[in-house]
Amino acid sequence: MFEREIEDFLEKLRTRREFLKVSGKGIVGITVTASVLNLLGCSNPDVGSASAFVTAKGILIAERNKCTGCQRCEMVCTVANDGKVHPLISRIKISRNFNYGDEITDNYRNEDGYFGNFLMTPETCKQCKEPKCAESCPADAISLNEKLGAWTVDKDKCVGCGACAAACPWHMPTIDPESKKSTKCILCGACAENCITGALKIIPWEEVAAMFTRKGYRFS
Amino acid sequence: MSKITGWTGKMLRVNLTTGSIAVEDTMKYKDFIGGAGIGYKVIFDEVPQGTKAFDEANKIVIGVGPFTGTGVPCSGRTNITSLAPTNPYNAITDSHMGGNFGAFLKFAGWDAIIVEGASKTPVWLRIEDDKVSIEDASNLWGKGVIDTTHELNNVMGKEACIASIGQAGENLVHLSSIVNSVNHSAGGHGGVFGSKKLKAIGVRGTQAVHIAEGKGQEWLKLNEYMLKDIIGANNQHVVPSTPQPWAEYHDKGSRWTAQTALFWGAAEPKVETGECPAGDKNKVGLRTQKAIFDLGPVAEARTIKMGGCHSCPIRCQSNLKVPELEKYGLSGYATSTCIGFINPGTVMVNGFSDGEKQGEVALIAKSLGSRLADDYGIWSNYGQLGRDFKYSYQSGKLKEVLPKEEYDSIPWDLVESGDPGFLVEFYRRIALKEGEFSKLGLGPYWLDKEWNLGKEYWTGYGNNVWSKMAFPKHHSNEAGAQVGVLVNVMFNRDANSHTHMNMIGAGLPIEILKEVAGEVWGSPDALDAPNDYTPMNEYKAKFAKWSLDRNFLHDSITLCNWVWPMTVSPSKSRNYRGDTALEAKFFSLATGIETSEKELDLAAERIATMHRAATIKEMETIDMRNEHDIIPEWVFIDSKNPDAKPFTPGTVMLDREDMQLALTMLYKEYGWDEKTGAPTRATLERLNLKDVADELEKLNLLPK
Ligand code: SF4
Ligand code: SF4
Ligand code: SF4
Repeated sequence: MFEREIEDFLEKLRTRREFLKVSGKGIVGITVTASVLNLLGCSNPDVGSASAFVTAKGILIAERNKCTGCQRCEMVCTVANDGKVHPLISRIKISRNFNYGDEITDNYRNEDGYFGNFLMTPETCKQCKEPKCAESCPADAISLNEKLGAWTVDKDKCVGCGACAAACPWHMPTIDPESKKSTKCILCGACAENCITGALKIIPWEEVAAMFTRKGYRFS
Repeated sequence: MSKITGWTGKMLRVNLTTGSIAVEDTMKYKDFIGGAGIGYKVIFDEVPQGTKAFDEANKIVIGVGPFTGTGVPCSGRTNITSLAPTNPYNAITDSHMGGNFGAFLKFAGWDAIIVEGASKTPVWLRIEDDKVSIEDASNLWGKGVIDTTHELNNVMGKEACIASIGQAGENLVHLSSIVNSVNHSAGGHGGVFGSKKLKAIGVRGTQAVHIAEGKGQEWLKLNEYMLKDIIGANNQHVVPSTPQPWAEYHDKGSRWTAQTALFWGAAEPKVETGECPAGDKNKVGLRTQKAIFDLGPVAEARTIKMGGCHSCPIRCQSNLKVPELEKYGLSGYATSTCIGFINPGTVMVNGFSDGEKQGEVALIAKSLGSRLADDYGIWSNYGQLGRDFKYSYQSGKLKEVLPKEEYDSIPWDLVESGDPGFLVEFYRRIALKEGEFSKLGLGPYWLDKEWNLGKEYWTGYGNNVWSKMAFPKHHSNEAGAQVGVLVNVMFNRDANSHTHMNMIGAGLPIEILKEVAGEVWGSPDALDAPNDYTPMNEYKAKFAKWSLDRNFLHDSITLCNWVWPMTVSPSKSRNYRGDTALEAKFFSLATGIETSEKELDLAAERIATMHRAATIKEMETIDMRNEHDIIPEWVFIDSKNPDAKPFTPGTVMLDREDMQLALTMLYKEYGWDEKTGAPTRATLERLNLKDVADELEKLNLLPK
């Protein structure tokens, strides 16, 4: 079972990376199991609470059980990318599900959010394989940046119509009301670098490779 | 000059009598920085002498400073300034709440809201960016904080931040608070909202808070430096509470409780706090496992995570799983700000049914009490509410003053047997003003007027009452001797100052702390070893003034004074030196106004003096030494050891004459009249407060 999981994960990782390298086409979230997380050096012993995103720099792990809702990742995101603090356009989203999770229900006292069970999920762009944002953009402003490994908005082309925000199933891009340009995650990693509990974490490829090798798995 | 940033530049003025809503320029108050600074000036200028807290003429200023919203660590604070019903003179105080409100106010484009007048019918204030309106709140009146918030979120959207009063504020209970984001409450001014029939303020903002242009990279660097090299744990404790391989020192009083095999036990999956060595910025948020600090080892398994204010990496609030609360009609989750857990515990004067102070029943009681208090919007008065109940109950006062029928209706068996259910009765009666019992919500001064609590109440050390301003002591003679007393003396409510306490209690050996004291205040003699105090000296006066000034600065800029200033650090490579210029460094980046530590300290002194001037105006006397700065008797008595002498090891009792000298020395540091403790014209003018001097002179309140 354990072996199968690891092999399976490595296979996914390999194909995604290859995919990324060769076709330059993108990145998808993978649910990570306990054994895999352990191998990656995370002490998280449970299944399903963490998701991993394969990025150009490494694997981005988001663990919701560790998020304290400080919203510092949002601040750092926009200072790094926009030179100001602006949660609305932060490419990582916490504030919007801070109070009541995804939506307010009558049972809110028992559901996600600070008015419920205190849990909130850091949301970020999933860098879809077939991104609805890019597909819907009338100005062809969103394309894959090979260097960043992320779907990136060309500010010069963007006309601020908001089609990308509407098309994204998770409404991740946001139009900056000041610049009237779309903002979306470019995997710069500032959020993870500054998360105060390590709830967001980028494990660089070299480390991923080293960890697997140490445990006797081959990973290229 | 480049654009001024940090501030939004706009304040709202809302008149509830006329319904008018106006926009004002924040920059006319730039010298007062923001928050409390603006609040003191507005109240001084605009609220007539003789006004009482609940009068229509009183105003309330809800404001933040240039830091809130800019991501400065621990800047998620909101300051609320108004006359205080608990104070014998209804003198000015400021209360503070964390949570999201302050930052969201900035994102909506506002630095402050001045609320004046009073509505005839219940209203709430709706702020959506530039769109501001006064709305009908008759359907909300009578509701608790959580229901109110929920209803307003249904109107404004789930992201809006709502600050609201509960039934306590509506009923003009003196000890009432304004609450946002579940458990972030500003104590003492809920009744002022109630007197204006203002139920809540909802804020939703979509705008940016700008830092100085082109300074993004510097901001990131300064942030990195602070999180790696300077910040510690809650209350700026800079050593872990247990021995750890990386740490040279440890101190069991430290709130840096993180350690190997200590968990957020109810997280799914569990999160190990682990060791969080200095220098690792991705672990700062795990350092303070506050649940076990407040509630003992039983809390570990119930800890979902730590919460806290917007932008704060310290996370000092425990979010817990307590399904037992469902029995009381509440959800099975509990949380509280720092004091909230302690106060319900104090109300349980006979302990808990399982006999344990930090057992399961204690945890349930404290969780229940804090949830009730936050929902009713009751202020604990820094724990004094519980102590006042304890005194009145145990001394037989309650039996004497309550009508028999009422007395008999109280389920005393619950308090006697240590059953948490007592708290349901306790808080309801106070919030809903049921009967004579509810007078406990008046606060010490007015309660004494009603029930004649007697001399013992005022002089008993354990009662903690600071006569004659009638607030509870807050880090006084036990915290730096004369320094702590001087800090307490200056305020009109509990001092709420941690500038001195966090330095004293950082956890480092006294030798290091004394060295730091020497560097910051000019001599190691500014600081004594605990319980081994020496007579007053000028360095202690400097330490006291600095503590006060930084507190006033933090309430204005707006920062958390439980963590700031950064006098020491956990970093061995820095020789544990903090960085007292950090506020100035962040100020320069936030506002684009290059400002030195010295310049910011001067602004802080101005704000402290403004507070003093407002107090003088409201008390209508310049004789602060004899009318305001009274030191309670218990400071000069060692109740545990009647033979103790001041300045001998083992006692915190102080000497009367020495404390008068201490006052003189503090006045001198401030440039106030040494006889009366009132600011002189020369000092006011040095601080650019000529208009304040003129007004005081007109009122005959300027020392000759
Ligand atoms: S910085 Fe980390 S802990 Fe804070 S809100 Fe973001 S993900 Fe959560
Ligand atoms: S913005 Fe939305 S649609 Fe576009 S790549 Fe990201 S998650 Fe996918
Ligand atoms: S907002 Fe910009 S990036 Fe988004 S769809 Fe419109 S033009 Fe394209």
